[in-house]
Amino acid sequence: MAPYTGIPLSPAELQYLHTSLSQDPPIRPDGRSPTQFRPLVAETDILPSTNGSARICFPDGTEAMVGVKAEVEKTRGGGQNVKGEVDGKTGEDEEMGDDSNRSARSGRDWGEWVEIGIEIPGMRDDDALPIFLSAMLTEALLADTGLKDTLWINSRFHWRLYIDILLLSQPLSYPLPLLSLTTHLALLSTRLPSLISERDEDPLFNDDWEASTPLYPRSKADGSSAQKPPITLLVMSVGGMIYFDPSADELAVADAVVALSVTSTSTTDADALPLKLVALRTIDPPSRLTAGGVSNVLNTTSTTGTASTGTTSTGGVLAIRENDQGQSVWRPPRGGVKRAVVGRMIKAVVEKGGVGMEVMAGLAGVET
Amino acid sequence: MPLDTSTYGLAHLRLDGRRWNELRRIHGQISTQAAADGSAYFEQGNTKLLCTVTGPQEPKRGGGSSRDQSNEAKVEVEINVAAFSGMDRKKRTRGDKRVQEMQYTIASAFQSTIFTHLYPHSTITLNLHVLSQDGSLLACALNAATLALIDAGVPMSDYVSACTVASAPSSDQSLDEQDPLLDLNGLEEQELPFLTVGTSGEEGKVLVLIMETRVQVGRLEAMVSVGLDGCRQIRGILDGMVREHGKQVLESRMS
Repeated sequence: MAPYTGIPLSPAELQYLHTSLSQDPPIRPDGRSPTQFRPLVAETDILPSTNGSARICFPDGTEAMVGVKAEVEKTRGGGQNVKGEVDGKTGEDEEMGDDSNRSARSGRDWGEWVEIGIEIPGMRDDDALPIFLSAMLTEALLADTGLKDTLWINSRFHWRLYIDILLLSQPLSYPLPLLSLTTHLALLSTRLPSLISERDEDPLFNDDWEASTPLYPRSKADGSSAQKPPITLLVMSVGGMIYFDPSADELAVADAVVALSVTSTSTTDADALPLKLVALRTIDPPSRLTAGGVSNVLNTTSTTGTASTGTTSTGGVLAIRENDQGQSVWRPPRGGVKRAVVGRMIKAVVEKGGVGMEVMAGLAGVET
Repeated sequence: MPLDTSTYGLAHLRLDGRRWNELRRIHGQISTQAAADGSAYFEQGNTKLLCTVTGPQEPKRGGGSSRDQSNEAKVEVEINVAAFSGMDRKKRTRGDKRVQEMQYTIASAFQSTIFTHLYPHSTITLNLHVLSQDGSLLACALNAATLALIDAGVPMSDYVSACTVASAPSSDQSLDEQDPLLDLNGLEEQELPFLTVGTSGEEGKVLVLIMETRVQVGRLEAMVSVGLDGCRQIRGILDGMVREHGKQVLESRMS
């Protein structure tokens, strides 16, 4: 008896989908191109009590909302570190002279300055899925060291960011890309009050919200492209073909599923890649849990007198299945993903005019 | 409205400029989520809630025959208060007693309103997400749940509408004629004794009456009657939202 996986597709349907996706040119069930995303609805600044917020709805009905709040927190071991480190660097006093603040931003353990909480209805906080998702999103966010400079106030205080993600619908498909895009949008709309106090005194902020500064500024003073928060995309492969934004049906027949986290590089060099990869994680494809089909040769319930009359041993059955190799009936995929395929996935995301840039540009357009 | 400032006595205007019997700005949307059986978004002032309904469906937790004695559907409510909903970021622990009590109150209010005998041995699950809180949380939750259940097509005897009422902010005994305040925001809830009343139907059959603070018993009658009137107003607003949504659905089908 096959294990219940939540995928209500028969082996015949799975084989049909798999064949249509491994063709060249491929045919997706909804007729999209391999790099085409489904349309989504996105809005920002919906929650008045947060520093930044966003909501995205995917066309399959899943919906997520993210609220970002920031609180001022005392830095542990604030003033002492500074002195110790500056004294240690005797040779580089010249360099450090004019921006001696830079050494103060040692910000050890600055990874604790960002906290991501995920709420999925029907799941407890210590279930595997919320913990895994929050670890992946945190990893991508902390890969950007520029964020630490934005959160730093002075040597004694810093901002602590709380990013709370709510999945408002049941998790019908793997929620990672939805949550990541919503987080990206919420961070883009996050504003921090502007600082009035000087240097190391207790922080004092401007009451006027109009004067607040965005967490991720649109453009930097020196004209280079602004830093953007990271996004995590789900990419799947079938045979040699790669597909973006896979629907639940397509995931059911995937050979491999990979989560790619990319962030923008702040560089003015026209030849350099606009995005850089910060994390790559393989996800267990749900296709592994499907049941294989039974080939005609082994089908002992059929009454047409075929050669399957009792003499096939267990080893013989296994040999027939292996030789078949999923040609005539569906077989759950085995093994990993080829390095060349992974390489093509990365290239498709980070190159100029690639999928990553398209998604970021689309999201930046939401922010008015 | 702080008890020590007497600005209310001067112009009879509250901090947000309302009079004693004025409701806050109410806005609602039905069928906001395609994936749920029924969904609604409801906001009363700055208190914003999202409600989704799944069901009636088979009970998820096994549900052996020994458990399902009654031939009625069971209403289950789950309230999820987002960490960013208040002024300070506060992550709620599981099993928060106040939240549990609210869940029970809402479940029992709808248990008596929904025609549960039509769906024996099944469960109707209400998921409430609190996105922003600024007073009248239980009342808004009941209103949002009503809209979501209507969207899900669950048969009920009437709308369940709820609101909060506070006793007037005066310590002077002679000012007993002062009117109770309707529909409180967060600041007023912290300062004044208040109650939440939830009714069903045009005639105002009381389903929910919760009071956690203490008030002089002589003032109670006035508060409840103001509350009943407020619930009637809110019922009218909810009805208007449902009719508007129905009209839109019909118009989109006909063209």
